[in-house]
Amino acid sequence: MTDEKTETTESCPHMEGRVPDRGALWESYRAADDVYQDENGVWQVTRKETVRYALQHPEVFSSAKAYNHIGCPVPMIPLNLDPPNHVRYRRVLDPMFAPKVLDPIEPELRRQAGDLIDRFAGRGHADIVKDFAELYPTQVFLTMFGLPIEDRDQFLRWINAINGGAVHQTGSDLTEHDTAATNLTEYLRGFIEIRRRSPGDDMFSRILAVGGEDLWGEDEILGFTFLFALAGLDTVTGELGFVFEYLASHPEIRAEITINPGSIDAIVEEILRLDPVTPRVSRMTSEEVELGGKTIPANSPVQLMLAAANRDPRAYVTPDAVDVQNVDAGHLTFGGGIHRCIGARLARRELRIVLEEFHKRIPDYKLAPEADRSVVWPSSVLGLSSLPITFPV
Amino acid sequence: MDINDQRCTGHGRCYEVAPALVEDDERGYGIILHPDAFPAELEDEARRAARLCPEQAITIRT
Repeated sequence: MTDEKTETTESCPHMEGRVPDRGALWESYRAADDVYQDENGVWQVTRKETVRYALQHPEVFSSAKAYNHIGCPVPMIPLNLDPPNHVRYRRVLDPMFAPKVLDPIEPELRRQAGDLIDRFAGRGHADIVKDFAELYPTQVFLTMFGLPIEDRDQFLRWINAINGGAVHQTGSDLTEHDTAATNLTEYLRGFIEIRRRSPGDDMFSRILAVGGEDLWGEDEILGFTFLFALAGLDTVTGELGFVFEYLASHPEIRAEITINPGSIDAIVEEILRLDPVTPRVSRMTSEEVELGGKTIPANSPVQLMLAAANRDPRAYVTPDAVDVQNVDAGHLTFGGGIHRCIGARLARRELRIVLEEFHKRIPDYKLAPEADRSVVWPSSVLGLSSLPITFPV
Repeated sequence: MDINDQRCTGHGRCYEVAPALVEDDERGYGIILHPDAFPAELEDEARRAARLCPEQAITIRT
């Protein structure tokens, strides 16, 4: 669907609500202009070159000013920081996602993916989102932090309450949000205490082992853990949904995976480009700046439309389709510059492991007739709420 | 082949596509293995790493 157009594009430049065609949605942003101020006063940046420029100039396009009011009880390190403070945290956090850390846990992550798939592989049908994509990223998180896998469902309830509460910031929802945030914080504090006394081979122990001027306080550890949980779970859930939606409706690409598993990395990159789960990131200008021929005043809210830039016809041969020719042009799904997604390598690894394990067991499948492929826009993280598929057993 | 440490943020694309030319350090940032001259048969790989760098941090001098 992502490489087709519907007729609603021209008549509806600002689609909202349930959007059936993401390609048309992002095109509507590019069609408005390369850089423009929308009806809410927010500056939209929609092309690959302009978005990339903004990402690589954090001194002008500040992340700290834009992200300091997220509903979170602890500072969201390091998203809420600009240089020079940002560097101090990334120096500690970058190694946590290095290949040297991920390689040893890959067999365990692979085993867990296989176990989840085995539960429905003999059934002939599955809901990719409910039966797999909502569960797996949380298990990966728990594994990396050395937390019990049995706590998965409780953990998911907290995260869903926190994420749900952040969207509707009114009345009773906020209470549920606060309760979940408090409970999750207490849960994590307990494990940090345990790791302080008996370190293991996990994220908490690694951060606690950092000394000298990079020493982290407990609130900083909690802030980072919250950010990891909020940024690293529903994003991978959403992306898994988009990947399987694409593969289920494109038998030729699916066949390519089965014939040549080495093609998985390129296919994953292309689906990441077409369907980023975080379609935009926010910034605030710290001074007046020229971008794309426009002058953006100081202290203006800016949205960098990663999703629109990723399908910029000026940057890609076939902007709306999976095509290996596009791969070398890269994409902005994980952002860029100093705030680039720190979990990108983990996300890529999860996607690759899942596709390998899934296609070993279920090479051929298709969308169930009842599949609803629309997404809700605007939202900070896009995703399908359900993706029913059927397959021969 | 050169990598600009000020621009590199550790995406890790370079050592994934050109493992014979770039290695990862303990943070996951790229290290150029042959900064002065690399084997001629690896030129395609080197150019691919440079093209794929999201930060445009890699340069190839000829």
